[in-house]
Amino acid sequence: MKKKANIAWYLLFVLPLVLIFTTVVIIPFIIGIGYSFFEWDGMRLNEKIFIGFDNFAKLLTDANFLTSAGKTILFTLFAIVAINILGLAFALIVTSKLKVRNVARTMLFMPYLIGGLILGYVWKFIFSDVFSSLGESTGITGVFFNWLLNSKFALVALIIVATWQMAGYIMIIYITGIQGIPEEVTEAAKVDGAGFWQTLLKIKFPLIMPSFTICLFLTVSNCFKIYDVNLALTAGGPARSTEMFAMNIYNEIFSLSNYGYGQAKAIVFFIVVAIITLIQVSITKKKEVVM
Amino acid sequence: MKMKKMLSVLLGIMLIASMILTGCKTKETNNNKDEETKTATETGTETATEEPVVESAKKIVVFQSKVEIIDQLEAAAAEYKAETGVEVEVWGTTGDDYLQQLKLKLNNNEGPTVFSLAPGSESDELAAYLADLSDVSFVGDIAANMADESEGKVVGIPYTVEGFGVVYNKDLIDASKMTSTEAFATMLKDQKAAGINGFSLSQESYFLIGHILNTPFALQADAKTYVEDLIAGKVKMQDTKEFVEFAQVMEAVRENTQNPLEVNYDKETGDFATGKSASIHQGNWAYGMFKDYNVGFEMGMMGLPLNGNQSIAVSVPTCWYVNSQASEAEIQAGKEFLEWMYTSKTGQRYLTEEFGFIPVLTTMVSTSLDPLSQEVARLTAEGKTIGWPMNAYWPAGIVDVYLVPVAQEFFTTDMTGEEFLAALTDAFVQAGK
Amino acid sequence: MKKTGKWVGEILFLAVCALYLFPIFIVFVNSFKNRAELYESMVALPKKFDFKYYIQAMTKMNFLKALSNSLIVTIISILIIVVLASMTAWMLVRVDNKISKVIFMVFVATMLIPFQTLMMPLMQVMGWARDTLHIPMLNTLGGLIYMNVGFGAGMAVFLYHGFVKSIPIALEEAATIDGCTKFGVFWRIVFPMLKPVTATVIILDVIWIWNDYLLPSMVISDKALRTIPLSTASFFGQFTIQWNMAMAGLMLTIIPVIIFYLCAQKYIIKGVAAGAVK
Repeated sequence: MKKKANIAWYLLFVLPLVLIFTTVVIIPFIIGIGYSFFEWDGMRLNEKIFIGFDNFAKLLTDANFLTSAGKTILFTLFAIVAINILGLAFALIVTSKLKVRNVARTMLFMPYLIGGLILGYVWKFIFSDVFSSLGESTGITGVFFNWLLNSKFALVALIIVATWQMAGYIMIIYITGIQGIPEEVTEAAKVDGAGFWQTLLKIKFPLIMPSFTICLFLTVSNCFKIYDVNLALTAGGPARSTEMFAMNIYNEIFSLSNYGYGQAKAIVFFIVVAIITLIQVSITKKKEVVM
Repeated sequence: MKMKKMLSVLLGIMLIASMILTGCKTKETNNNKDEETKTATETGTETATEEPVVESAKKIVVFQSKVEIIDQLEAAAAEYKAETGVEVEVWGTTGDDYLQQLKLKLNNNEGPTVFSLAPGSESDELAAYLADLSDVSFVGDIAANMADESEGKVVGIPYTVEGFGVVYNKDLIDASKMTSTEAFATMLKDQKAAGINGFSLSQESYFLIGHILNTPFALQADAKTYVEDLIAGKVKMQDTKEFVEFAQVMEAVRENTQNPLEVNYDKETGDFATGKSASIHQGNWAYGMFKDYNVGFEMGMMGLPLNGNQSIAVSVPTCWYVNSQASEAEIQAGKEFLEWMYTSKTGQRYLTEEFGFIPVLTTMVSTSLDPLSQEVARLTAEGKTIGWPMNAYWPAGIVDVYLVPVAQEFFTTDMTGEEFLAALTDAFVQAGK
Repeated sequence: MKKTGKWVGEILFLAVCALYLFPIFIVFVNSFKNRAELYESMVALPKKFDFKYYIQAMTKMNFLKALSNSLIVTIISILIIVVLASMTAWMLVRVDNKISKVIFMVFVATMLIPFQTLMMPLMQVMGWARDTLHIPMLNTLGGLIYMNVGFGAGMAVFLYHGFVKSIPIALEEAATIDGCTKFGVFWRIVFPMLKPVTATVIILDVIWIWNDYLLPSMVISDKALRTIPLSTASFFGQFTIQWNMAMAGLMLTIIPVIIFYLCAQKYIIKGVAAGAVK
């Protein structure tokens, strides 16, 4: 009886969301997997041809796909490091005793409010026009030139914009973590004579480990899926050097109308990313301290 | 006791849920079949009963890609409602994702009644969704070769004609001297020496490579076969005279003018309007960009002088289509709306004055063309036009996905004209696969 | 000495924040310029602060209607997400068996699916729901809310899950012994302790749903149902943007969120303070 009741409670709590989630995400995803075995342009009235694993075989020799996947991994690695360091630094500053902390918190958070598209255009102006004229007026042309025309710097520009946008977002989560640390703990550390760095490394960091897991995961998933900023800032250029993965799929599906092939790409990439991040989550989870 | 009740309720929910979930797959295939048979019968009845006994719908939806005319189109819709009582709802979207939105909406039967597409590879892909418009009254008056036809039936009604080529400042360039590639290259050098940017492209895909590459294709005797041969590897751009000259022009552009990758459409037209650029590669649509400037010179249009070419590329950029999947009443109402727009006084006024379109019916004249549209009309009357193989024959999506990266490489490295042509040829082979 | 140093630090940090907002400054100044003025300089202050583009943008966007649609969609979606995700996450943590682990993993893993690949099948499923089950999922605010809940579920469960683990189970056990049902335990004991993370979920979801363009653009066709981002779409042409309108529209879009954030910020601090008592 008790056990049955528990099952009922379990279902009552879990089922509604699982149901909605299944119809919105899981079923479409499964249907999408099905389509990856077809050659099809995505239009209902047009012909679907079943081609088995051909789309997946084609992937392995698709140079553009492979470089794009590589570039996305590179981008993600640098972006998550930059975003998390900056986000955590911001969070530590705005939870300190600084008087301007409340104003600063809102200011730092504002970039995330602006949608990717306009933001990309504004940054495009900064990296091309502002940088060029800075270079001309200061003579430091080694740093200030049109970054978006250089394949390496264009990628760095993309990392900078992504960091700028997401650091404030990640900051919010770190703030929650830091404020969850009981004051007695840090006070006790101070009384024991621990310095700023010691408190930070030995006390604060282990206690905000759960936030760290969450932030790392969120940045990984957001960076891997980056699209808007990519489109508006570089549109993949110059010469495909910043074509991130989501853009590659999008072009395949909507510009080239290779719907089935685009789905195959998406699924392969999803599997790879899922494995990487699940390993990451399980590693950082182990480091969490149970209070 | 309470628990038991709860349990049974929950089991009930579960049962329904599982029915929904498992029922999904099988029902869906049924549903598809239903739809297929439905469309089959629909088309069947359509061909059987040609006479318009159909009652037309009281509301239709228009969805179209030209963001610039949205406000005017809504005003036209309001007048149409006042005159006929039929409501026309105009959907909005960004210019960038129109096609994707349209496809998604057609796919789940939420499609608009009347929509727009570029005739050519776009309309071919969606051929199954295009209703036969052959019985619309003014079809016979559409200028030759401008209606979009599919299997002998008229399916698309042209918006307007647009022309692109070299838009130049008459104070700075003497068009009568621009008769060869060499003359054009010399002009670029002279302008550079005078501190003026001789010619400008811009970074947006079609303005960077799509339009300008259209010219050598259009100059081929049979552009369609040429594209097919190019994709099949039977011909190469490097071996074709017009393309070799095209590459010479592009090299001269790279050497003597501002890097187009640093210029966007706003800057390109701004530089031209303020006299900093002597010419730009644009079309008559660009005139709207000048309205905030005090342009103090006369502008003209001329062809890009590849192999002595004097013609500008003129064609129909967009056509109206009626959704064949809509109900018969809606199809009828959609046709009536197009009738009204192209034959009534009010409708025609909107087309010519409000939208600024160049008339496509032989029975229509416009007295309110902007200077660039006048140039297009003049050159068309002189017969100095070439076509748009880029829309008609190029593989779908090639410009953004394959050609732009090649052009970006050309403008950021010192690759030669020949390497450039080889890379473009390769892009066609890949995209055509 | 130490005091001046502190002040220098404060001012320095404020300066960094200001620099950080430079791109937003660009958006702001250019919402007052016409094309010719914009061409002259993108960073210069406008010749005059004339709000005509704001008024034009508001009219074209049908701002009040769009605002109310956005409010309805955002508030209801988030309400449902918070209620359902917190319940789900709590159960998944407390009933620590294989099924829970799998469900949690699926929630998390699906956050990695690029949205572009779900668009077409999603519309298909919803079209089917409309045609076969006669549930009006497409072209209704309700349908949009339903899908928002589905897409927001993963992250919300993930955030709650992390937090629930740090709540001592003893209180819940005590309450159960006192005769509370699970429902009572959750809403009386657990949910109040989740305040800080609820605040985080709300803030993150407000921004996402408020700014979302892609999903609503597929679901909503009717003009009367447009949300704010949809209503600015006609400012974006295929090759060029009506900058002043687009930027004025953007300012109009983000101002409500900033106001919301300023209000919510106070609440977070309170919420955390309440949560810290545990």
